[in-house]
Amino acid sequence: MSVTIQVFDPAMCCATGVCGPSIDPELARISADLEWLRGQGVAVERFNLSQEPGAFAGAPLVQQALQARGVECLPLVLVDGRIVAEGTYPARETLAALAGIVVQKQAAPAAKPCCPPRAAGEPKCC
Amino acid sequence: MEHPGQTPRHLFFTGKGGVGKTSVATATAISLADRGRRVLLVSTDPASNLDEVLGVALGPSPTAIAAVPGLAALNIDPEAAAHAYRERIVAPYRGVLPAAALHSIEEQLSGACTVEIAAFDEFSKLLGDPAATADFDHVVFDTAPTGHTLRLLELPAAWTGFLTDNVGGASCLGPLAGLKAQQALYDAAQRTLTDPAQTRIVLVSRAEGAALREAARTAGELHALGVGDLSLVINGVFQARDPADPVAVALAQRGAQALAELPPELAGLPRSEVALLPFGLVGVPALRALFAGAGETTPDLPQGPTPPDMSPLDALMPELERRGHGVIMTMGKGGVGKTSVAVAIAVELARRGHRVHLTTTDPAAHVQEALGGPVAGIRISRIDPVAETRAYADEVMRTAGAPLDPAGRALLAEDLRSPCTEEIAVFQAFARVVDEGEAGFVVIDTAPTGHTLLLLDATEAYHREVERSKGQVPEAVRALLPRLRDPEATRVLLVTLPEATPVHEAAQLQKDLERAGIHPFAWVVNQCLTPLDVTDPVLAARRAREARYLGEIESLSTRMVLIPWSADR
Repeated sequence: MSVTIQVFDPAMCCATGVCGPSIDPELARISADLEWLRGQGVAVERFNLSQEPGAFAGAPLVQQALQARGVECLPLVLVDGRIVAEGTYPARETLAALAGIVVQKQAAPAAKPCCPPRAAGEPKCC
Repeated sequence: MEHPGQTPRHLFFTGKGGVGKTSVATATAISLADRGRRVLLVSTDPASNLDEVLGVALGPSPTAIAAVPGLAALNIDPEAAAHAYRERIVAPYRGVLPAAALHSIEEQLSGACTVEIAAFDEFSKLLGDPAATADFDHVVFDTAPTGHTLRLLELPAAWTGFLTDNVGGASCLGPLAGLKAQQALYDAAQRTLTDPAQTRIVLVSRAEGAALREAARTAGELHALGVGDLSLVINGVFQARDPADPVAVALAQRGAQALAELPPELAGLPRSEVALLPFGLVGVPALRALFAGAGETTPDLPQGPTPPDMSPLDALMPELERRGHGVIMTMGKGGVGKTSVAVAIAVELARRGHRVHLTTTDPAAHVQEALGGPVAGIRISRIDPVAETRAYADEVMRTAGAPLDPAGRALLAEDLRSPCTEEIAVFQAFARVVDEGEAGFVVIDTAPTGHTLLLLDATEAYHREVERSKGQVPEAVRALLPRLRDPEATRVLLVTLPEATPVHEAAQLQKDLERAGIHPFAWVVNQCLTPLDVTDPVLAARRAREARYLGEIESLSTRMVLIPWSADR
């Protein structure tokens, strides 16, 4: 019943990337999405290569991907031990679908439409 | 001198750069050891002078000082601590994870963040883990100049708060589970710092207005942090022995006046005085002699004439103003007069009709005070870590935070409260200021050496990170290192005094800069007695000693400028 999503991040400072010399909006977006999934009852585990290399060494699929394709394969996203995304963070809807969650599309208020997760890179949104 | 049994276990020495913290801390440690106590002397300055002062090569673990039975010393070198920290993480996975993965971990862990965390861990251990210092009766900290010291002292409080509130899994401090285990250590460090029975903070100052004001500010801030037991040492108190020597009379007069106007925050503190000595404070015998002349009072002396007004910096101006724009940076040990040299250059550029932005990266610098009042053509600013961090956090929330849901924004806001945010915010502000040098003159008064080295290390680490970054990198950040390396775009002035430790620290800084591809433009030797007539025996002995250091500077520099000693520095 309960699904586990595991995210294996490349070596980075913090999960949202705010400590680096530039902000990658994708990192802020995926952090928010994973937090949302947690709120939906999904078990989420996240490992940063520079902080928990042991988790990478202990996951055979991740080990194999690293050996075969180098660090470019990161981030790796696993759902119940199966690789579902490589080199990219899936959108919230994709993650939700993989976790078996039915996303209730909220009726958007006319005056203030909410932006889809994919628009994360755009500076002006909402 | 009090009985060593009444001296608390931990002693911190703090004060404006150049006031003699290392000398006073080391002399105190020697004096305690000479009276049978077991003492550990610790430097937390990335540009530590302890090795030179004690004449022993030190490392990150205690080294016994043969000349002083009972005394051991160590340097918390942030870079070395970061290296050890990296090794602890990477070593178990050699041969397990592919080399490319290990390399990317090492790259990531070479940033300013890791340096700060690793140094902080070492510091916390000494304060919070009794086992780490079980072999000693006293731990004496020769801390870095004031701004940095305060930040170090604030860290246990800031991080303990961060750990209590942060709930979102990992952070830049490492996996949270691991850090929770460290929390007991941070708590213990903080309790030790604020307990007067365990810790005393000694403010070291010279009998000079600026140094005393700095000490007064520190006293106020330490009080606000809950640090109770404060005392004051006035170092280098001078009595003129030859009333016919105008320099000696002016020096003594200035000291007496500064002490007469002691700021109220300092007036109530237990105070001791240490006399100015005719010799340099390098080596154990010289340090043992430091306290011998303590306790003298300064008599009233007539006002002497001020030395002739010379503008030796003029010699550098044609080259500095040739391109009509550029960055000019003053660097060196704390207390050598970086701010006054930066101000003098800005004033001269403005007098020659240029528009100048005068700024500082030193949290403890007072450029405004040094300039006196507004000067036409000069704009003043400062890179204030608190203000820069707030502006950076606002900017991130406004851009990367905008598309997120409330929970996502909360998570982002939380990460922005981590201590590393300040590093990146200050770094970005520095990059913006250097960028201005493309269009006009920017004069940057930098923080003392150790701090500046960390900023340059951060620049190199971030430069590598920028090159492989996927995010949007501001152009100013991308161009920063190439600009600093371009001798036409950036002129570095190494400022020093004609004394052993400031010269040797500047020489080491020059080496570090050159390794980073940055070549200093000139050396400025401040507060020289050599160009002046002095007859007072103490001053004449000090002047004779200058020749040796001026000779060393000559062999190290392509351009050298001497600024004569002046009472109104």
